[in-house]
Amino acid sequence: MIRGRKSRWAMLLCLLLAVALLAGCSSNKEAAEGNKDADKSQEEAIKLGFLGATTGDVANYGIPGKKGMEMAIDDLNAQGGILGKKVEGVYEDNKGENSEIALIATKYITRDKVVAMVGDPCTGLTKVAADIAQKNKVVIFSAGATGTGVVEIGDYVFRNTLLDQFAVPSVVDWMMNSKGWKNFAIITSLNIGYSTALTPVFQEAIKAKGGKIVIEDTINNGETDFTAQITKLKNAGADVLVFTGYYREAALLQNEAKKQGLDITLLGGDGLYGHDLIKLGKDAVEEKVIYYCGFSSDQPSPETDAFIKKYVERFKEQPDMFSAQYYDAVMILAKAMTDAKSTDPAVFKDELARLKDYPGVSGNTTFRADREPIKSPICLITVKDGEFFLLEKIPVKVQ
Amino acid sequence: MFWEQLLNGLTLGSTYALIALGYTMVYGIVQLINFAHGEIYMFGAFAGLILVSFFGFNLIAAMLAAMLFCMLLGILVERIAYRPLRGKSSRLSALISAIGVSIFLSTLMALMAGTNTHRYPEVIAHQSYHLGSLDLSLMQILILAVSALLMIGLQFMVQKTRIGKAMRACSQDLDASYLMGINVNRVISFTFAVGSALAAAGGVMVGVYYNAVWPYMGMMAGLKAFAAAVMGGIGSIPGAMIGGLSLGIMEIMGVAYLSSSYKDAIAFGMLILVLLIRPQGLMGQKISKKV
Repeated sequence: MIRGRKSRWAMLLCLLLAVALLAGCSSNKEAAEGNKDADKSQEEAIKLGFLGATTGDVANYGIPGKKGMEMAIDDLNAQGGILGKKVEGVYEDNKGENSEIALIATKYITRDKVVAMVGDPCTGLTKVAADIAQKNKVVIFSAGATGTGVVEIGDYVFRNTLLDQFAVPSVVDWMMNSKGWKNFAIITSLNIGYSTALTPVFQEAIKAKGGKIVIEDTINNGETDFTAQITKLKNAGADVLVFTGYYREAALLQNEAKKQGLDITLLGGDGLYGHDLIKLGKDAVEEKVIYYCGFSSDQPSPETDAFIKKYVERFKEQPDMFSAQYYDAVMILAKAMTDAKSTDPAVFKDELARLKDYPGVSGNTTFRADREPIKSPICLITVKDGEFFLLEKIPVKVQ
Repeated sequence: MFWEQLLNGLTLGSTYALIALGYTMVYGIVQLINFAHGEIYMFGAFAGLILVSFFGFNLIAAMLAAMLFCMLLGILVERIAYRPLRGKSSRLSALISAIGVSIFLSTLMALMAGTNTHRYPEVIAHQSYHLGSLDLSLMQILILAVSALLMIGLQFMVQKTRIGKAMRACSQDLDASYLMGINVNRVISFTFAVGSALAAAGGVMVGVYYNAVWPYMGMMAGLKAFAAAVMGGIGSIPGAMIGGLSLGIMEIMGVAYLSSSYKDAIAFGMLILVLLIRPQGLMGQKISKKV
């Protein structure tokens, strides 16, 4: 008993020490960067804060996002800035952690005096920063958060991304009317939130459009044995398989389907985007997987084409959805400030909310009355000759 | 559909059985649960992948080479991580050492190959045969045949050869075997080698069957095979085979007729149930402890 208590105290002490150490580190780092920033703030510039991770698990979203934002700011300054003032980006790496993004958002607002923050690409992190932004009356513009409960936080919160609830009904409509698929199979990856949230959206849309769900099944993300699911599917008589999970399992499902002689198209959200889909699936995914997303670098509009060329020239790589959305977010903010003739967030946020049919590089954006973005068109991407390939662009019908 | 699912289950189960044999043999002799065994299986799968994709080996040659490689790896692991501890410290330290080796090997592979899933090239052309309403693929036949062959070979070796006799003697009483003039260390090394070779064969076949290998594949497969070994009665070779096969069938049937959400729950729930009713496992022998 006594020994147990002792060790518990020791553990608590260790924990406290660790926390103190971590806190010490981050505050030191901040102080150093704060000084550097203080020198710059002599010249009066409009500051935008970058929210996103450039290291860690979700750095894949943040790194291209940051590049898009840098490019947008340089483009703005080349055109003379906003309302005659220079635009300046402030960049911190939030590592995809809630505690980091809270610190960074507070730092941007109190020390850097930003007028708006651009990011984060993740829903959970955006919510943390949005609470802080709303309280301090600073605009936050997420370029990627697709989950629910984001813009509901308050009237300073915006986002610019294709929402599943708007995209899915149009995608289902396309499947039923353009492809003639009426009998649906749905497979959900049980242990990922993205999949369990997307499945009900599909179910609802299919029911609303009069389609029939002939079989619903589940898999666990990270497994490889899907023999039983495919055998069941083979006997269900579905025209198309809706799979709401990630690319790895999509490739393995199609591998197994091919082995069992089942010829079916698998359709899902942008969770299927990942080059491992092609590497793992090879000919089993060739023209047999379709996913929808908001951005494609194939067959671009003139605006997008110019953006892609410039991006490739500067960064020597293809832009993705996140670079395009961050780029647009900065440009939309600039437009709102110019139209409102003010850089005060309390003023230009109302102009921002009235945005209609903005022809961005990531598609057209309109804000609904509740500030939810409606982006059009949706890109349907498939795999052709071992590359992602734009199959079709379909418009989003606003309800 | 039932027969097809049964076949799916048998195929999955025979890979579990191949891994479970390694657990059970090592446990039978040194009473050590070799947690690194799942990683040996993973190394076998990767060895096969490298041989097939870079050296153009065919499936059987790649499997034999991977088995040889894993034999050496198994002996090496035993030499480095278990033998120095044997007899000198408690059984618990050997177990911790095994967990350490497991983590070391899986992260080593993650460092070398990345954490992504790699595709296994199609080494044999896909072909399926129809038996009435039953679709039987060539790969399934191959897995079942090779597993059966390996298991029969193992049983023959253990029952009919000199080294098999030595293994059985060691599993009954290590100290007495030593006193009778059996080179105990060599028998233990041999046991690790045989178990590892079986795991490697399983790894290569699973890689080819599902077209996918990744550094952490040994973790869950190892746990499942361990459950199969315990269910069949740890230490018993026929028990590991029966345990593996029944675990595979139960899992597939669970997915087919209940839901995938229960897949692992069924596997481990059955383990608990079997142990409650027959603590020594399906084929295990009740051992009365000397007090």
